[in-house]
Amino acid sequence: MLRKADNSASWAVAASLVLFSIGGILTTVVPPLVDSSWAKPFENSDPAKGPTGKLTQLNELQLQGRAIYVREGCWYCHTQQTRTLLADTKRSGWKGVDSPVSTPDEFVYDSPHLFGTKRTGPDLSRVGGKYDEQWHRTHFRNPRDLVQGSIMPPYPWLVENPQEFKAIVAYMQSLGRAKNWRPNEDYEQ
Amino acid sequence: MQEQLSRAEVAGASAPSGAIVHEDLSAKWFLVSAVSYFFIVGIVALVIAAKFVWPDLMGTIAPLSYGRLRPLHVNGMLFGWLLAADMGLTFYLIPRLCGVKLWSEKLGLATAGLWNVIILSAVVCLLMGWNQGLEYAELPLALDILVVVAWLMYGGNLFMTISQRKYPAMYVSIWYVMGTIVWTAFVYLTGNFAVLFTTGVNQANLNWMYVHNAVGLIFTPVGLALAYYFIPRSSNTPLYSHKLSMIGFWSLAFVYVWTGAHHMLHGPISQWLQTISIAFSVMLLIPVWAAVYNFFATMRGQWHQLRENVPLKFLMSGVVFYLLTCFQGPMHSLRAVNAIVSKTDWIPGHAHMAVLGAFSFFAIAGTYAALPKMFGKPLHSDSLANWSYWSFMMGGLGFFVTLWLGGFWQGWQWNNWAIPFIDTVVALKPVWLVRFFSGILMFLGIVLFSYNVLATALGAREQKA
Ligand code: HEC
Repeated sequence: MLRKADNSASWAVAASLVLFSIGGILTTVVPPLVDSSWAKPFENSDPAKGPTGKLTQLNELQLQGRAIYVREGCWYCHTQQTRTLLADTKRSGWKGVDSPVSTPDEFVYDSPHLFGTKRTGPDLSRVGGKYDEQWHRTHFRNPRDLVQGSIMPPYPWLVENPQEFKAIVAYMQSLGRAKNWRPNEDYEQ
Repeated sequence: MQEQLSRAEVAGASAPSGAIVHEDLSAKWFLVSAVSYFFIVGIVALVIAAKFVWPDLMGTIAPLSYGRLRPLHVNGMLFGWLLAADMGLTFYLIPRLCGVKLWSEKLGLATAGLWNVIILSAVVCLLMGWNQGLEYAELPLALDILVVVAWLMYGGNLFMTISQRKYPAMYVSIWYVMGTIVWTAFVYLTGNFAVLFTTGVNQANLNWMYVHNAVGLIFTPVGLALAYYFIPRSSNTPLYSHKLSMIGFWSLAFVYVWTGAHHMLHGPISQWLQTISIAFSVMLLIPVWAAVYNFFATMRGQWHQLRENVPLKFLMSGVVFYLLTCFQGPMHSLRAVNAIVSKTDWIPGHAHMAVLGAFSFFAIAGTYAALPKMFGKPLHSDSLANWSYWSFMMGGLGFFVTLWLGGFWQGWQWNNWAIPFIDTVVALKPVWLVRFFSGILMFLGIVLFSYNVLATALGAREQKA
């Protein structure tokens, strides 16, 4: 049958589009229709079912910080997903408490999504509340002042711009906070 | 019948095509622009490799910080160099395979002009940090629209050429080019427009569909179109099997698009979708092995030609890299392997083997092979071309192999959470240093290649004047 495509350009184009669109539609259009958790914001008030909390939209300042994160390309070096790997939940964890795994319902308002592909630096999906503002100030000015051997670039222009600095820190502190997973509300400001 | 077609095509025996004088203006402009961007973006590549070793390098200048230069490197190489070179080479080979002139050189030149406007604007946008935040789709919307316009101009021109062809039967390369044109349209629209109407995991899913298929349904088919054309051409041997090339083409058309979600294995995306993407990733071996077997079988008894023939060296090394990279891909998608290599430095090693080792090698080979025909004079220097091969090869191997070893080791360390993260950064420093020096070798290859191309082109100009 595909032999026809040897001599007919329109036939070849039609056949390649049909074959392409089967997979195309089944893997892009169908999944969000089938899996409701992709679009339903996280909400849980029952501790028996896991960490409690509620996903809310970011406020103005946090959104501004997020835009800076996009502009500066932080997402080329940092992922934002605690995967279903034990090592990930340990590394995102805090004082011996494992972090909960990232679920689709925690990212419903994200655009652009910032899951990332490369971990040149650590995953940031649960970094909210890990460090205080002073730590971030020093770290952004020159990461090597705090962490020997770091290869994160310095961001003096963020620290020197009070508005931008406030915004990026507000965004950092928001990460992973839909799920209230640390015992005793132990989050840095 | 097909067999004969390829034989006639190869021997250049087809009388009608001999009567046609191809102007190749569009091809030339695309190639010259592509080669210039290859050189410029090569410098950016070296800078970001250096930043891994010396993180404070140019560190206080915002437009030159890592997060601004990395997208410039990726977009510049993909769209400024590789896609532009592929477009130029298809402007060269489609008219020849169809036995007619390009439908409109004027339209082709306008496309080349528009493409340059897009790339130069992209450089400004990315340095300014006007980034949409989606991988491979960083460019602002206005530029995305221009890309679509340019693509319609390019595709329309080639389809008109194909519809006027002398020979009813179409050689494999023509299908691959047609496939590239139509798939790219859909893949690009998904990745740059449809994503804007979605958020979260849904958006990520579309984004990965696009990212994966930018390689799988843009660079792969057009790269294979070049390989199917230039391997028989450069070795003066007919293609081994038409049937096998059909199996390769139609399985590619069906299988590739399913695999996007393998970029989110273990991540926050539905398990069943992950499993589908794994199954289809493994099936990718079918189109790959079909094409690779065909190329190897074509070369049977002809391997001695590799010694003297630089385009053939690039082509067959490209085929080997294609085989390897497409073996890695399905293996990475297996959950157990993915848990080690995902998000590590292994991945850039893999990606560079595909885009540099396979598809850029095909484009470089095509450029070396087409240049003398287009300009009607021999290449400026065959020996420089040979040197460029060895620089690319040594640099490339150094790059791939160190990043695999380093990345695997890094993934191993990450899975042992007793090791603090920063120790895994420090452990990789020697790897990044070797990567930087491999990069210098690769850049040397770019310099030799682009010098040779420009010298051939400019020399041709002088002769005319
Ligand atoms: C070149 C890659 C790179 C880029 C770009 C980058 N980082 Fe980092 N980042 C690192 C590395 C490596 C570390 C680990 C060492 C350290 O803490 O400095 C790190 C650590 C961090 C940490 C501490 C995480 C923890 O759990 O200890 C934060 C927060 C952070 N980066 C935020 C950012 C932000 C915000 C940006 C963008 C403005 C950014 N990074 C850009 C590489 C990068």
